[in-house]
Amino acid sequence: MDQNPVQSTAAEPAVPPRADFWSAVVWIVLGFAIVVISLRMDRLERFQASIYTAPGLVPGLLGFAIALMGGILMLRAVRAGALQGRAPVRLVLRDHWRLIFSLGLSLVYALVIVSSSMPFWLVTAIYVSAFVIVFQYAERRAAGQVPRGIAVAVVHGVLAGWAIQYVFEELFLVRLP
Amino acid sequence: MFDGLFGFAHSIWNFASPETIFYALCASLIGLIIGALPGLTATMGVALMTTLTLKLPSDQALLILICTYVGSIYGGSRSAILLNIPGTPASAASCLDGHALAKQGLAGRAMGIATSGSILGTWIGMFFLALFTPILGEMALKFGAYEFFWLAVFGVVISGNLTGTDPLKGWIAGFIGLFIAAIGQEGMYAYDRFTFGVHDLSGGIALIPALVGVFGFAEVLNVMKDKPQKFIINTYDTVVPKIKDVVQYWRTIIRSGLIGTFIGIVPGVGEDVAAWSSYAAARRASKEKEKFGKGSVEGLMAAETGDNACVPGAVIPVLTLAVPGSAPAAVLLAAMLIHGVRPGPMIMVENPTFVYDVVAMMLFASIGILIYGLTLTKLLVKILLVPRALVMPVIFVLCTVGSYAIAARPFDILVMLVFGIVGLVMRGLNYPMAPLVLGIVLGDLLDKSLRRGLSLSDGDLTPFFGRPIAFVIFLLVLFTILMNVPVARRVLGQGTALLLRPFRRA
Repeated sequence: MDQNPVQSTAAEPAVPPRADFWSAVVWIVLGFAIVVISLRMDRLERFQASIYTAPGLVPGLLGFAIALMGGILMLRAVRAGALQGRAPVRLVLRDHWRLIFSLGLSLVYALVIVSSSMPFWLVTAIYVSAFVIVFQYAERRAAGQVPRGIAVAVVHGVLAGWAIQYVFEELFLVRLP
Repeated sequence: MFDGLFGFAHSIWNFASPETIFYALCASLIGLIIGALPGLTATMGVALMTTLTLKLPSDQALLILICTYVGSIYGGSRSAILLNIPGTPASAASCLDGHALAKQGLAGRAMGIATSGSILGTWIGMFFLALFTPILGEMALKFGAYEFFWLAVFGVVISGNLTGTDPLKGWIAGFIGLFIAAIGQEGMYAYDRFTFGVHDLSGGIALIPALVGVFGFAEVLNVMKDKPQKFIINTYDTVVPKIKDVVQYWRTIIRSGLIGTFIGIVPGVGEDVAAWSSYAAARRASKEKEKFGKGSVEGLMAAETGDNACVPGAVIPVLTLAVPGSAPAAVLLAAMLIHGVRPGPMIMVENPTFVYDVVAMMLFASIGILIYGLTLTKLLVKILLVPRALVMPVIFVLCTVGSYAIAARPFDILVMLVFGIVGLVMRGLNYPMAPLVLGIVLGDLLDKSLRRGLSLSDGDLTPFFGRPIAFVIFLLVLFTILMNVPVARRVLGQGTALLLRPFRRA
């Protein structure tokens, strides 16, 4: 199975064969899990349902197809050297702090929005301000503008919280979480 | 022919109220800004605007969505030209010559070319939208369960084949999408599948939260994971499009418009492929091939005409078959269903004027981008320089609100978060997201069509291959798959050469 020449001009970083190998493992496991669950599904024969309309028929076929394609991907990855001995890549969390922080803060925001009774605008203002303060801190510190940076972030957060609430709830009558 | 013209004129007249024009202009501007800002895609823009316009009347809501869609595809060219970063994936081809022109001090001219190409592309697409939709609608009436089954398979296979760099990964993404659509109560017996006792899963995975996750939250994380770059935008010349550029490259414009529209019609492929294909075709046909990539007016015109022509093209299968031609068109399809419009084979019977309404909406959108293309350059330049750290948290808040607003279910926020994280990981491993989305949209159609078809034929597979339209679509699926298998491709190539040998000798 070849790689696609159609969009060769659109540069995408190459994925190491080892990563493809492990994603193939996930698809094979997922595919077979879908097949097993589909086979165990009720065929509703007591309702005189045709075997061809059994609820598990289509997901079962899809699961098989996913496992099959996962298998082909795995073979391709192995042929490309996925299993050749190499020291595993060590993940340095500090190198990925930007991703981890944005993911963590966003998850906390979503959790608080869903589960707490705090006003929407306030939670949003805190989230947006914290996001801006952290990601602009290095730049502001280099320019000697930390207090100004914090003030700008808080104003931006409060404005964003108020504006989103106003536009959704008051202008377009859409319910907020 | 004249019925269509009258229908179109009637639709324009219906929309020509100050309120509607105001909405169209606002939505085009929002689309333009979304498209211009790298990291914000047309799909995300249309999805977020769908949630904002839930309570509006359907015609106004859909007008806003179409103007946002057209505006964002055009807006992507701004950052492509000025920053060498495609604002949307559709504008990636515009970077090559657009930014090269900007480096030569011709950024204004490049923006003018993008404006004229985008408008003409939209108009060519609009023409074919009006022309083809009734014809395809009539053809679609002949589709039964067998044809719809193959159409769903074809959509996922062709989308997986063309939207990424690795067809196998595209197909895996597509089949995962088809499986995701199977989660929840199925359509025939209301039987719960893969819900594991979780009540919220019975309703299934809603398309808009999933899309907002994949194209919104994942994009926020993707942008924030890298260090921000400092951009300097040089001064630019006049942005008024030159008539000379249009007249000189009229063949390129028509060719790119046709390619863009055709690629739009193909399920799930979308604007980026349309832009690259138009660009490649222009380069092949050009007398100035050496200029491509170094500031070719023809190359930029081709890419911009192609991607904007794809927008009306992508709406054609939405209206006739309820199958989206691109990822933003998938959101548009969901929005139509939310607003009580039922696209599909019956639309020309039940609501024939709607097609012309959509064409009129596209016209309003093109007028919007013309106005902003000529007037708002300085403002857009300032917007492009807004730090990502200020924009991205607001976008995530909109993703959260947007996911919740459709059904007021906190569960949909969870869906958005999960799809965002999964989307980020899958994109990091080069799995394209368009087939996944198309799979979610087509999953229900595939499920019902296969089971109905088998039930009708009592398990006999012959009708799946014996009916003419079903057989043609099956051959297309088979050909698409085989063309990616080296051995099969060699055999097919040798077979074709053998077949053509007598003609070559003659």
